[in-house]
Amino acid sequence: MSFCAEQLTRVRPIWEQMLDHRFLQETRDGTIAHETFANWMRQDYLFVEAAIPFIAALLPKAPKAHRVALGMAIPTLEKELELFRDRAEAAGVDLVNVQPSFSNHAYVQFLLASAYTASYAEAYTVLYVAEKAYYDSWMVVKAGIDPGSIWFPFVENWTSDAFAGWVAYLEEQLDALAGETGPGERERMAELFELTAKYELAFWEMAATGEGWPGLD
Amino acid sequence: MAFTEELYAAAKPIWDAQLEHRFVAGIGDGKLDENRFKGYVLQDYRYLKEFARIFAWAVAKSEDLASMSWYAAVLNLTLNTEMELHRKYAARFGLTPGELEAAPMWPTTRAYTDFLVRTAADGDMADLVAALLPCAWGYVYIAQELVKREPPGDQRYADWIEQYASPEFAEAADWLKAEMNRLAEGTTPEKRRRLTELFVLSSRYEWQFWEMCWKGEQWPV
Repeated sequence: MSFCAEQLTRVRPIWEQMLDHRFLQETRDGTIAHETFANWMRQDYLFVEAAIPFIAALLPKAPKAHRVALGMAIPTLEKELELFRDRAEAAGVDLVNVQPSFSNHAYVQFLLASAYTASYAEAYTVLYVAEKAYYDSWMVVKAGIDPGSIWFPFVENWTSDAFAGWVAYLEEQLDALAGETGPGERERMAELFELTAKYELAFWEMAATGEGWPGLD
Repeated sequence: MAFTEELYAAAKPIWDAQLEHRFVAGIGDGKLDENRFKGYVLQDYRYLKEFARIFAWAVAKSEDLASMSWYAAVLNLTLNTEMELHRKYAARFGLTPGELEAAPMWPTTRAYTDFLVRTAADGDMADLVAALLPCAWGYVYIAQELVKREPPGDQRYADWIEQYASPEFAEAADWLKAEMNRLAEGTTPEKRRRLTELFVLSSRYEWQFWEMCWKGEQWPV
């Protein structure tokens, strides 16, 4: 079994909880409160902004064969930010002066700390899981959302053939990287795989509950 | 006004909240439940291991030999003395070195240490010092307040207070404060705002660390 298949099987309880999350189901069914979705938009906008330095920090460690694909991910993320701004304008959501929630802040620090201190294969694991989680999550939404929904462009973005191809490419590359690692590194990759899945689940939960910062709410 | 006084003023409500926190107050009066403190000892051990890395980044980023030497000495002291003291102290709560090493990081410990590592990696020296100061200075600040009170009946808590209220820890905090003031000298208002933001954020994490140890913590879902 490939590394990704093996790990996806191992973290299945977290993954299933993520895909069953009420945020995704309510977005799919069109019952999500405007403010709840707006809260996710504000937080995810910050997250996508932070994903750019994360990708950039991977580049010096990347094998030459990975550089073009990683480099291309940066303008793609810039386009995603445009999508957020476009939807924010359409839905009357203010993306300015937003403070990160605790889970969002923690997840971003985790991304960057991994990029700086972990091996390339370990940090690449974090990238793959984050992208795979988004693809799978938005596929749940795609299964029932009204194409006329104001939120539909987000669904299109993360369920597109281009995004599916990117996730498949990451999976193939991660399996290849895992094949070249020793048991110690592979164990750390597995640990980061699970931790990223937990953060992805925590992100939907944060979006649904409107979590702020402990002690300040 | 020294820049560290500005930092203190910005974070004072959080520092006051730390002093009043049930966990801290419980160390002070000795009434803190031992199991809650055991959780703290385990998480603090994991924290300390990551905290040591910040000093390694500081050695790499220091501009002058004197600073490099100081951070290298603290790194050595943390890894080769303080962690051993920590293991001995943990044994007084029945915790073995194996348990300390194997304890999983709770989400707040993970988030706080990732924040420190990330700041140390992509920030400059001023950013790094602003982020680590609330721990180094804050522990001395808390212990020096607690030491003024009636000593706790539990000697283990009394020793905790005595250690962090000691002149050695106070001197280290003073050195870092002086370093912060030196690094902030002549910086732009925007940079000082950024440093204040980092200092306040670490102060919040410090409060949250007590809160985590009081409540116990797991992943939210």
